[in-house]
Amino acid sequence: MVGLDIAVVHIEGLHHAYGGLVVLDGLDLDVAPAEHVALLGPSGSGKSTLLGLIGGLDPVQGGSLMVGGRQLRGLSGRGLADHRRATVGFVFQHFGLLDTLTAAENVELSCTLAGQGRSARRRRAAELLDAVGLADRSTHRPPQLSGGERQRVALARALANRPPLILADEPTGNLDGESARRVVDLLAALPAQQGCTVIVVTHDPVVAVRADRQLRLVDGRLVGGLADLRR
Amino acid sequence: MTWLDAFSLAAKSLGRRAGRAVLTVLAVGLGATLLVALLTIAGTARTRVLSELSKGGPLAGVKVAAAEPDPTQIDEDNAKPGAPKDLDERALDQIRALPGVGSVVPVVTARIVVVPTSLPPTVTLSNTDVPGGFAETVVGANLGRISALPISILAGRLPTAGASTEVAVTPGWLQQLGLGRKEAASVVGQTMVLAAPRGRGRGLQGRWTKATVVGVVAQEAASGQLVMDQGAVTEARAWSQAGGPVGRFSQPSSPYAGLFVVARRLDQVTQVRQEITQVGYSTQAPENLIASVQRYLRVVEIVLTGIGAIALVIASLGIANAMLAAVRERRREIGVLKAIGASDGDVLRLFLVEAAVLGLVGGALGTLTGWAIASGVGSVVNTYLTDQGLAGVRLSLPGWVALGGVLGSMVLALLAGTAPAVRAARLPAREAVGAA
Repeated sequence: MVGLDIAVVHIEGLHHAYGGLVVLDGLDLDVAPAEHVALLGPSGSGKSTLLGLIGGLDPVQGGSLMVGGRQLRGLSGRGLADHRRATVGFVFQHFGLLDTLTAAENVELSCTLAGQGRSARRRRAAELLDAVGLADRSTHRPPQLSGGERQRVALARALANRPPLILADEPTGNLDGESARRVVDLLAALPAQQGCTVIVVTHDPVVAVRADRQLRLVDGRLVGGLADLRR
Repeated sequence: MTWLDAFSLAAKSLGRRAGRAVLTVLAVGLGATLLVALLTIAGTARTRVLSELSKGGPLAGVKVAAAEPDPTQIDEDNAKPGAPKDLDERALDQIRALPGVGSVVPVVTARIVVVPTSLPPTVTLSNTDVPGGFAETVVGANLGRISALPISILAGRLPTAGASTEVAVTPGWLQQLGLGRKEAASVVGQTMVLAAPRGRGRGLQGRWTKATVVGVVAQEAASGQLVMDQGAVTEARAWSQAGGPVGRFSQPSSPYAGLFVVARRLDQVTQVRQEITQVGYSTQAPENLIASVQRYLRVVEIVLTGIGAIALVIASLGIANAMLAAVRERRREIGVLKAIGASDGDVLRLFLVEAAVLGLVGGALGTLTGWAIASGVGSVVNTYLTDQGLAGVRLSLPGWVALGGVLGSMVLALLAGTAPAVRAARLPAREAVGAA
């Protein structure tokens, strides 16, 4: 059971709708530090919306959503930007790398936005690219990298500011089997190696089984989520 | 994100979309080229026309004749002088002390004998015509103050200030030699012998000086066809007056043949002319003509500036269009930037810097090209004017035009880029990521 005082993510009665379409309807969830959670569910069940709300991509409409002890409901655009910069690292299905920058520059970009100096961010980028096995590809641009390599660069970028929470939205959706395995290995190792909490949205059971906990989201509610945790 | 970081990202982004960036820069450059070329040409034409009107002298110049003012001519630019009246030191001091007067350059004249062949230093002349020689009037002024005089050069140069062996000639002199203005350069370097005549007994004595023609002035001097430094003319005149009567070589009674007065400001010319009239002398100044021409030139400049500005505005619309397209294409990129922590301000800054870079590069390129085109036009015009025996034009790129071309383009680009940048900044992070 995860106590409220130690949960990295604490959600109560979260409600979200697009126009009249209710996507999340009174959702409750706690995620512990260094926990690896997989969110599963059919398309349109609200997985990506939940991930976006936790990551501060959208403002919270109803309910309570606390990340690292900070209430996201009511935060301004600037407050959400601060949250995204300091607390969250995103990994997208489509990698989300800037083609105009090299692999190292893409990793550095997170540090740049966090206001780090040039030499510090260069060191950090080199260190992370080395950690994901791409030290020799640091000067290559995304179009010169394979899908798996791009996703590993994206993962390095997500870790650049040492966020306590990594959010991955279908991280293997565009990857072949071997590349997907390497990315999942890296994600799965993060809680132990970096102390990060990882929440992965996936359709892939192979990815889901690597998580500590699997949660199914159906019609905007978690099936057995909070109840299971408390039990 | 610092401005430097934003600049670095913007430069890379523009480099990635080089084709579109180049086309946008060219559009801005074209506008700036047109603006700079038109304004430079218009400015040079204005200077040339006004210089022609003021005969190369200051626009606020007023000619004062050694004559009384004709009351019926006072308001005329080319007022005909009244009865002769000596212009002496006292009158000079009075005019110099007038409130609107900036500077006064006296003009002196002397009657001399000119002989195109060399003669011994001292020869006693009979009272009849000198063989091969003729009487001429030499005009002298302080040539050290050329900028305050209505003189411009057709060929060669003016005599050096203080030189007594250098002389410039007028187009009238060329005409006497059967030469046109185009052939002005051919007389430069020729020598002549000048004699200040002095009465000696029943004859004349000449004080001979061998002088070299160093240049041809573009203007006709009022009373003579030779121009020398004031000192040489004053000396010749004094030497001549120290002797006996010299008949038809008699020197004019007025110590000064005229004055060239420069008013402190162009709008003070009328006042200065009135004041000089009250002192008792006739004046001439192209003030009405200059004012009238300036009005027309101003209209031309406004029209040309308008044409250039319209071109720049069209170019800035091109920037707005290109940037709006970029925002549409880069929704995912903007979303990713926001997802990894970029604030609305960071995104706004990034797009504004891109617009500013496009404007700055386009403006700089356009200013250089505009200057090059204006120089080309100036060169063609110079060739034509020189062929016609006229003084050429000196093309100059005013600092405000150069600065306006570069900074104006950048400001317009920033204005044009503001709406797309705001749109990019306001793009919701979720919607942008969702657009992927």
